[in-house]
Amino acid sequence: MQSPKSLLALALFGGTLVFAWVTHGTGVVIDDADRNIAIPSDLTVPLQVQAAYNNTTMFFRYRWPAERPGIFHDVLRYQDGEWIREGRAVPGSQPDGLHEDRVAMMLDDGSVPEFGRYGGYIAIGDGLAGLTDEAPEEVTKYLPQTRNSLGQWDDMAGDDTIAAQRAAGYFLDLWHWRGGRSNPINVADDQVIAAARGGDVGRSSYGTNWDGDLNQPQMMFAAGHDTLQWDAILAGAVTQDDTYALTPVTAVPFDPEAGWQNGDVVPRRVLRTPEGSRADIGVVGEGRWEDGYWDVTLSRALDTGAPEDDKILRDQGAYQVAFAIHRNATGGRWHYVSLPATLGLGRPGDIVATQFQGRTPTWGEDWTDVTLFYPGQVTWPMLNSAEHAGAESIAEGVPVAFRHSPEQLANYGIEREFQPQIRRQWLFTLLAGVALIATFGFALSSTLSNREGA
Amino acid sequence: MAAYHVVMVHFPIALWLVAGLAIFIRGVSAGAIGQSFDKALPTLLVGGLIFGAVAWGLGLSVWPWETLSATPMGRNHMLLASWSWAYFALLTWLRLRHGAAIWQGLNRLLMVGLAGIGVVFVGITGTLGGHLVGNYTEVGQVLRLLGWEIYTTFYVPDLALWVIVAVSVVLLALGVLGRGGPRKAG
Repeated sequence: MQSPKSLLALALFGGTLVFAWVTHGTGVVIDDADRNIAIPSDLTVPLQVQAAYNNTTMFFRYRWPAERPGIFHDVLRYQDGEWIREGRAVPGSQPDGLHEDRVAMMLDDGSVPEFGRYGGYIAIGDGLAGLTDEAPEEVTKYLPQTRNSLGQWDDMAGDDTIAAQRAAGYFLDLWHWRGGRSNPINVADDQVIAAARGGDVGRSSYGTNWDGDLNQPQMMFAAGHDTLQWDAILAGAVTQDDTYALTPVTAVPFDPEAGWQNGDVVPRRVLRTPEGSRADIGVVGEGRWEDGYWDVTLSRALDTGAPEDDKILRDQGAYQVAFAIHRNATGGRWHYVSLPATLGLGRPGDIVATQFQGRTPTWGEDWTDVTLFYPGQVTWPMLNSAEHAGAESIAEGVPVAFRHSPEQLANYGIEREFQPQIRRQWLFTLLAGVALIATFGFALSSTLSNREGA
Repeated sequence: MAAYHVVMVHFPIALWLVAGLAIFIRGVSAGAIGQSFDKALPTLLVGGLIFGAVAWGLGLSVWPWETLSATPMGRNHMLLASWSWAYFALLTWLRLRHGAAIWQGLNRLLMVGLAGIGVVFVGITGTLGGHLVGNYTEVGQVLRLLGWEIYTTFYVPDLALWVIVAVSVVLLALGVLGRGGPRKAG
């Protein structure tokens, strides 16, 4: 017979191993709004992309899943004589379902060499808004060389240097479609990332619908359009077939004597026709949500005539792109992003844009599948620091896709959000395991039956 | 030091896996072959410990601690390597301390089971090391199916840590109590 004590030791050891296995990975990764942490339930999202061009115009078509369409950004709700702002940005999903859905695409022509290897990671400097250690002022995406030293968001290069960089093409073109602030008037926001993320020269497609002096909206829906109701918005009952945006067609100046009732809502954004280089990107047809998917087609002139705002596209050209979407009422950094991909206009690439004749392409079912992932809080300075085992590979120019998959990067991104906590817990787990093995060995050695024939 | 670590880890892996095989064969066979493997077992186990310690030390020098302790795969590799070494130290101690007695009765089945766990530890350690240098295997997929995403750090919550501490105290007490019982040299 085996010694009862050694059997007990074995049972305790085995049971503890099983318990550790079952509970591992829990207790640390918890949403914490105070630290700007909110982890999405899905870490990856599929995106489908098509591209085509004719003699003058470039077209991109995007398709991605979304449980419900995010067509509102923020709104003003009437309550007891006051207009209350609803839909302020929060970490993760906005609880009322506000904050518009979006698709964005960064585009480069090789002038930002790191972009083709590392995608949007290069634009995530220290101090960005939404990070746990965000700067005291709002800092948006920026390219590394626009700062004198890596990781110093406030150590800007000189104006002359930044201007020269821009003229040399050191910027990323950013196509930014918004479900609430641009889609209702069939445009997308034409933006740029250089020393900061901002709009191209010109005027955006939206303004703020608020008169600070009078504490009331500036615009409301014209007669003939139903007033939006807060309960209907919360229930997701307002669709794209309803009037849901203040546009040049639907908006009139606000009338405080219009008989407002509790629960009445007007959008906090009023849409307008964009101007200048910022107005370069249009929506073909209409960006529509249907059966759980957004289907959005954008178009832009191959040559916009604004080479310091846009990447000029040419037949047989090779470019680099990276994508991002917002869904589930998220904003800021709570998006899904892609690794960089190559784009070929009539030539090989991860995404091949096909040339066609005519005004608009006839899309087939030949999609390029892209896996988007939640990026967490991984900054470019960190990736180039001693905390990243691959920093040396970056210095050698090894592309991110050579060593990392989107699924892997999503998990790594979350681990970065809890870096000190996980490191501590891991170290304790390591030591506890060694202690368990040692005491198990001691118990086993002391209680092992030595009787012959036992 | 990375290249030296990669070279060196093959020795403990080979020695421990052969030791696991030897324990299995001796566990199911008391014949001449089983006896032969048992005779070789101390050498295999002690050799594995020595080479394992060297490989572990070299592994620590591949990256600075700041890097190693910040990388999920690095953490996991180090955790499993440490546990593997400790675990085979346990097996080595049992074999050296108790000699042929570990093959008596149900003890031998216990040894086979323990060796199996050790082989799993070493296998996972090696797999994670492969991932670290870009050599991927489907073992990672198996672990995923069993509930561990290997691209996340393996750690347990505070509750589990306290359970481990409590069980370790109980095991310690069992060991102390067991030392007072009747013993017979193997």
